[in-house]
Amino acid sequence: MSSVANPIVRPQWALLVGDSLKQYGPWHTHAKLIEARNAYPDDLAIRGYLEIIRNMIVRELLSHPKGLQAVPKLSAEFLTNFDRFNLNAQEGYLISLIDGRMDLQKLQILSPFDPFNTMFIIAKLVNERAITIPQ
Amino acid sequence: MTTYAIPLLDRLPTPIAVVSESGAIEYRNKVFEEIFGSDAKSWLKDGARAVAGERGWLQGFFLAGDDGHTNDVEIEGRVYRIDKIMSIEGYDTPAVALSFDDVTRQREAEQAKSDFTSMIVHDLRGPLSGIQGTLEFVLSQEGTKLDSLYSDLLTEAQRESERMMNLINELLDFSKIESGNFVVEPEPVRVAGVLKRAVRSLQSVAARDEIFLLSAHGRDIPQIIGSVEKLTQAIINLISNSLKFTPKKGLISVAAQIVRTDNMPETIVITVTDSGMGIKAEDVEQIWSKYKQTKNKSLRGGGGTGLGLYIVKQIVEAHGGEVTVASIEGVGTSIVLKLPVKRAA
Repeated sequence: MSSVANPIVRPQWALLVGDSLKQYGPWHTHAKLIEARNAYPDDLAIRGYLEIIRNMIVRELLSHPKGLQAVPKLSAEFLTNFDRFNLNAQEGYLISLIDGRMDLQKLQILSPFDPFNTMFIIAKLVNERAITIPQ
Repeated sequence: MTTYAIPLLDRLPTPIAVVSESGAIEYRNKVFEEIFGSDAKSWLKDGARAVAGERGWLQGFFLAGDDGHTNDVEIEGRVYRIDKIMSIEGYDTPAVALSFDDVTRQREAEQAKSDFTSMIVHDLRGPLSGIQGTLEFVLSQEGTKLDSLYSDLLTEAQRESERMMNLINELLDFSKIESGNFVVEPEPVRVAGVLKRAVRSLQSVAARDEIFLLSAHGRDIPQIIGSVEKLTQAIINLISNSLKFTPKKGLISVAAQIVRTDNMPETIVITVTDSGMGIKAEDVEQIWSKYKQTKNKSLRGGGGTGLGLYIVKQIVEAHGGEVTVASIEGVGTSIVLKLPVKRAA
């Protein structure tokens, strides 16, 4: 009689991620997926789901009516109370480039980071209300 | 071998033999004897020997479990598909029962089909390259004032010729895979360079379809050993596929990262992610099959050969990697490629 190894039980990511997106939105789902990735570092599918959410976040940013020509500005809250914002080095560098005149396309060119990550960091700064992108 | 099994095996139309690890025949059925004779077989002895560090084909049957192992072996000018039936106990040394199926004609037919496909595809590529070159030349003449209708028609002809070239290239790769001529010529590969090249080659198509195409890769991605051409082609196939499913104003991202974990050797993970319609859970695993195509009629640029993702899987597996898909219906799909890091010296 041959023995059958117990298969590793993986969560049904598609279902969990879909539900989380509907209930809590992309940023919460993104944070949960980072936790899941740390818990299951060898599970390649999680990395795929994480990329889908990151993609969704950046697409939302680019869906601005002006697209890459939209011009981000520092928020009033950031200007008056920037200690509240716990920015990492990448976020700090990018926010230092925002002068209220440069559009997303120029920021992408000037940024030392790759185009996708530059847009993701900007989306994160918008979500944290450190910057705004007026219509 | 139990005595009652022998008459049964002797009645079978397939050659069957019980072979020891050294290549000695412990038992042969009647058909085996009719085809191969009754004396000891030098080709079995050869199969039992390791040559230049590579184990012989017969050794593979002893290392495999009882859930089957198959190998096509050339014996006395014919090709036999050898199947492991089971391990046999009771002899002085370990032994396996093997069946020998003559697949020579089948292999010849496959080869003929593959050669024919390859020839047709090559013959189609030549004139199509000429058409593409002519269209590109006409459309790039800035001084020439083309009527907007003609310009649109020529652009459409260019788009369709690109599509036809992609289909032809897929068929060519497929025929190479099927004929066993799909080999990776190892060379140092800069993965970031591969992504950039693939993204650059489709940037104009994405812009024309009003789709954002962005790349993301860390600075610490090491060089690996593989084929620049094949890996670029895999990424191009994935982006092209995403372009078909992503609506206007959508986003396709191509990312690479190095992954180091306790349980997994150092690995490069490449993801091609789109904001398309996603794949139904029950269809996810089928996307890697040959000729598998979506039934979605709103597909941009029409359907393809259904071979694109199959070819990607073959390329990645030829590099010792694996592929996975993540998808959420209505949100998007991410194809994840895992490539082992075999560092360039």
